[in-house]
Amino acid sequence: MSLKHVHDDRSAELLERAFRELLIEKGLVSDAAVDERVEFMYARTPALGARVVARAWFDSGFKARLLADGSAAVRELGIDVGALKLVVVENAPQLHNLIVCTLCSCYPRMLLGLPPDWYKSVEYRSRAVREPRAVLAEFGVSLPAGVTVRVHDSTADMRYLVLPMRPHGTAALSEDECAALVTRDAMIGTAVVVAPKV
Amino acid sequence: MTARFQLGEPVRVVDTGASGHVRTPRYIRGKRGVVERICGEFRKPEELAYGRYDGERESLYRVRFAQREVWPDYSGPADDTLDIEIYERWLERSEEGR
Amino acid sequence: MSGHHDLGGVRTDAPVPRAQHAILPWEMRVDALMQLLSDPQRPGGALMSVDELRRGIESLSADEYRSLGYYERWLQSLIAIMTEKGVVERAELERRFAEVERAHEREHAGGGER
Repeated sequence: MSLKHVHDDRSAELLERAFRELLIEKGLVSDAAVDERVEFMYARTPALGARVVARAWFDSGFKARLLADGSAAVRELGIDVGALKLVVVENAPQLHNLIVCTLCSCYPRMLLGLPPDWYKSVEYRSRAVREPRAVLAEFGVSLPAGVTVRVHDSTADMRYLVLPMRPHGTAALSEDECAALVTRDAMIGTAVVVAPKV
Repeated sequence: MTARFQLGEPVRVVDTGASGHVRTPRYIRGKRGVVERICGEFRKPEELAYGRYDGERESLYRVRFAQREVWPDYSGPADDTLDIEIYERWLERSEEGR
Repeated sequence: MSGHHDLGGVRTDAPVPRAQHAILPWEMRVDALMQLLSDPQRPGGALMSVDELRRGIESLSADEYRSLGYYERWLQSLIAIMTEKGVVERAELERRFAEVERAHEREHAGGGER
């Protein structure tokens, strides 16, 4: 049942079912455990990462701890990150960070949920390391002159999260209101956070 | 086990000739950078990839490279960089520095 | 292993595709199976590692790597690793797949949904 020989829309779904049934019959997994994991994955959304970002904007001590040991700091907020080794990289007026995994699709799923298809694409994985500014321009990010671009290729056990800059015009917003502005793409580096227009 | 390289040390990525599952991308081999972070010790991907979960650990480094060093035709500014994690076995001291 | 997964710098000719497909339940289950099988806390310890998953994916031919979807690659890799270890036998999986296919055809016979 090599998929290339029987490839249509249903084959993979049926093969998954056959495989899972055997694993369950052998006592290696259970349907309940699978369902629980699926629910857990649905519950992981970029809102988790956005909370971390907003806290860092509002609490400089937390930010310092976040930059020193990302996983430990995130656990302070009651967010379960399992075995994730999180490295948080901070954008600054002269520095813009961009995250990629050229070898596969490593991504901080515990904080952002599942990665978008574009992050896993051949084109992104190829070009983000080689021509990051062109990729950023495609995503609508134009950087002022004098800004350095730093690309992080997740080749090992670390997972990266960008701490974007807090935009001007948000001084009157609460921490929760700030969190609502932080997008998934801003935490990957393919967007910046913008203040709401009034 | 102590880490062989220190923060700020200039290093070059060598090609160890290892085949199979390796996590050092081709594009970075032979390039020179600077150790930006000592990440700790981790089990080797080549061993984990073949079911050997209890092997020896190896130091892992975050190394920072100038993009112009990595890509001969890089058109961005000289300050643009690329950070990658590289296992100790893939690094040697770079005497010429950056 | 030809390293067709080692993509840094390889292509610079095409824009990053932005289309996003809605992830299907079977894809979520493949991901869940991977997590369960590789969980060091599971009874008896982990049956596989994420490194083995990657190795399995990297072992696909260049053609398969390109043409299979993301979670199709994962599923092929999971099957390869589990059969390699003898956790599942290829023959029994083939039999079960055939049964599941027949059941699916019966369920959808008579011009129902498709």
